[in-house]
Amino acid sequence: MDWDLIEESWPVLVAAIPDTVALATSSLALGFVLAIGIAVLRLSENRIAWAFAYGYVYIFRSTPLLVQLFLIYYGSGQFRPFFEDMGLWVFLREPWFCAILALTLNTAAYTSEIIRGGIQSVPWGQLEAARACGMSGSLLFRRIVFPIAIRQALPGYGNEIILMVKATSLASTITLLEVTGEAKKIIAATWSPVEVFIIAGAIYLTINFIVTRAVLWTEIKLSPQLYRDRPSWFARLKGGVQGPVQAINDQVH
Amino acid sequence: MAGPAMALVAEDIHKSFGSLEVLKGISLSARDGDVISIIGSSGSGKSTFLRCVNFLETPDRGRIVVGGEEVRVKAGRNGRSVGADQAQIDHLRSRLGMVFQSFNLWSHMTVLQNVMEGPVHVLRQAKAEVRDKAMAILESVGIAEKLSAYPSELSGGQQQRVAIARALCMDPQVLLFDEPTSALDPELVGEVLKVMRDLAEAGRTMIVVTHEMGFAREVSDETVFLHDGRIEEQAPPAELFGHPKSERCRQFLASSL
Repeated sequence: MDWDLIEESWPVLVAAIPDTVALATSSLALGFVLAIGIAVLRLSENRIAWAFAYGYVYIFRSTPLLVQLFLIYYGSGQFRPFFEDMGLWVFLREPWFCAILALTLNTAAYTSEIIRGGIQSVPWGQLEAARACGMSGSLLFRRIVFPIAIRQALPGYGNEIILMVKATSLASTITLLEVTGEAKKIIAATWSPVEVFIIAGAIYLTINFIVTRAVLWTEIKLSPQLYRDRPSWFARLKGGVQGPVQAINDQVH
Repeated sequence: MAGPAMALVAEDIHKSFGSLEVLKGISLSARDGDVISIIGSSGSGKSTFLRCVNFLETPDRGRIVVGGEEVRVKAGRNGRSVGADQAQIDHLRSRLGMVFQSFNLWSHMTVLQNVMEGPVHVLRQAKAEVRDKAMAILESVGIAEKLSAYPSELSGGQQQRVAIARALCMDPQVLLFDEPTSALDPELVGEVLKVMRDLAEAGRTMIVVTHEMGFAREVSDETVFLHDGRIEEQAPPAELFGHPKSERCRQFLASSL
């Protein structure tokens, strides 16, 4: 172990954390908005809207993010005159823009499926109760469907956030110097991958530790009744306290 | 015309699901303050009729008039009618309080939020006033200590009383009850029926689909016996329970009393 190298590289990689976080947060935020739209199209009765959303999700989930990233970054260069005519080249020539675009389109596909599952899990009776008191359209979606769906979807979406934080490392392949990019640069100069990647790994570990805590905090905030004075799920499973399993055991014995 | 005004008129309501004709022309009207119980065996069309009244099911044919305002319909596919104006239907629904068999409280909201939701977001009333009104109503149904509990933390009887409070807070012209005690454990039925009795005594206009013969007999002004999608018999409860005219009604009462 080259401790001097660790000491030297540490501040460089830490300084790149804002870039990694910026990539993750901007693509997650944009992707989330896009995902709501795609999920709504996917649930639509309009067959063209449904087919578009289905195709979108199918393509972006079934091809590697790295391939999508390369197609956008290098692919756009091949059609440069076309994009120049469209006035889009100013964006597409920027690796930052390409990375955020690829990450956004990719996470939107996964997130739309998470949201769709959440929406479909909203109990029918609660929708009827909302319609029966005169809600319809956007009010019903905003006040009833979406809040219930998001509570159902949150654990799955937490997973997606974590995957996205790690996926930002692929941006290093198109010249961006976020955490992994800086690490690769140092390794190229020193030939010491272990020391440098241990630091990079520790950084991702720390970011995702904060992410998991934040997701859990949000879950508790949104559904306090599930965490209030309740024995843990495992305690109930083991039957240490009176729970459904214990009740069944009592009946059996 | 003398006497109380018409709160609700349903005329010649027809409804089919596929080839199954569930309602074969039902007409029923309620004046302000009427309590009408609808009884009948499963599959007789009781719940479907109630759901047609507030357009949770669209009647294929017939008229619904709420407080003098008729629901506008237009001809749809297969010659069946469909709602012509969703905004009007939403508005009329907000004047008809509905209480469901399975409570259907919104699981992500506390008791107080459930009750305040409609008045604040549908009727756009001021939050502070709605809060006072909601607390008073919750008190009257005996749930005052559970304001910040979530539905999953309440018993069935408590949930149903909150659901009644939720309907009441909209100041509805008519309250519709769809078998409100059928999903409850026997020992919890009483607390819900008591609330409903209080409402009837307070002069609320109510249409109650129920299997509780005691309630229908003692509380309602009018009892309707539905059989096979038609009104088989309709009379004040003393008459209908005491001297049922039709053979089917006699059989039904004999089997359920």
